[in-house]
Amino acid sequence: MEHRELPSIDYQRLANFQYAIITTIGDDGYPFSVTTNYHLTPDKKILLEKPSLPSKLDGRKVNVLFNHITGVQTGGYTDRRYMLLWGTLHEDHGNLRLEPEKLSEWDEKILPFPEYCAKVAPQGAKYLETLQPSVEA
Amino acid sequence: MIRLPSWVQDTFNSYLVCEFTTVKDGKPVTLPLLPFYQPDTGKLVVTSSILFSKKIEHMKKNPKVSMLFSNPEGTKSGKHVILVQGTASADDVDLDHGWEKYLPLWRKKEPYIDAYLADREKFGWFWKRIAVQVEPKKITAWKNGDTSKPPEVFGA
Repeated sequence: MEHRELPSIDYQRLANFQYAIITTIGDDGYPFSVTTNYHLTPDKKILLEKPSLPSKLDGRKVNVLFNHITGVQTGGYTDRRYMLLWGTLHEDHGNLRLEPEKLSEWDEKILPFPEYCAKVAPQGAKYLETLQPSVEA
Repeated sequence: MIRLPSWVQDTFNSYLVCEFTTVKDGKPVTLPLLPFYQPDTGKLVVTSSILFSKKIEHMKKNPKVSMLFSNPEGTKSGKHVILVQGTASADDVDLDHGWEKYLPLWRKKEPYIDAYLADREKFGWFWKRIAVQVEPKKITAWKNGDTSKPPEVFGA
């Protein structure tokens, strides 16, 4: 998972998903996700249709996931790619405009899975370290 | 255990991907994961390699998570949108074998998984896996995926 500070969104790739998933944190502390349609404007605005829930999203900090898989005839899936944007939503002429602040993404056609695994090996090592009993020797 | 209609359970059983959210420092982190469903307990399960274990670190600090089922790609199921909000517990006692009890469910969704398993040595750390059980607290479901309409809510 690559974390990058904006601006480095590939809007051509971002346009190539079927729908968006808005996630925010509810008053009960649980995450709340909902699907919605989206479109990009020529001046690179990310506009999301308002879902019925949550009822008030204007000004909310959210993340918006754009995810894709292609089903395989014999079972399973391939062609995995996603773009995850964190940011703030604003009312914009009946839609919600995402003001993006941070991006995380992966596309297996750009970074094949074996290379991806090698890249994130430090996280694996870190997790294993947390499981080791501390030895003062 | 929350009682659910068959179309919700069918969705859990068939969808190949869910959008799984953990909370880090009060902010959501949502990623696609392969979900499994245990009808006998009503719990949902995902597994995670230690390579991609930041989400495990998040849920150990804050067990409140959600799983959205929204993508019927690769299935013969209808298009529904189902949000599960629940409590996660991570089992990392046996990273090498603890998750293997979910292989029959995994095999149903990704029949080719055995070929990768046969080559287990090649991706050693990918196969060091944490099993995560999610106990649903509330399920919000939009039959036929129309989120502009009010959902059915279970377990509220």
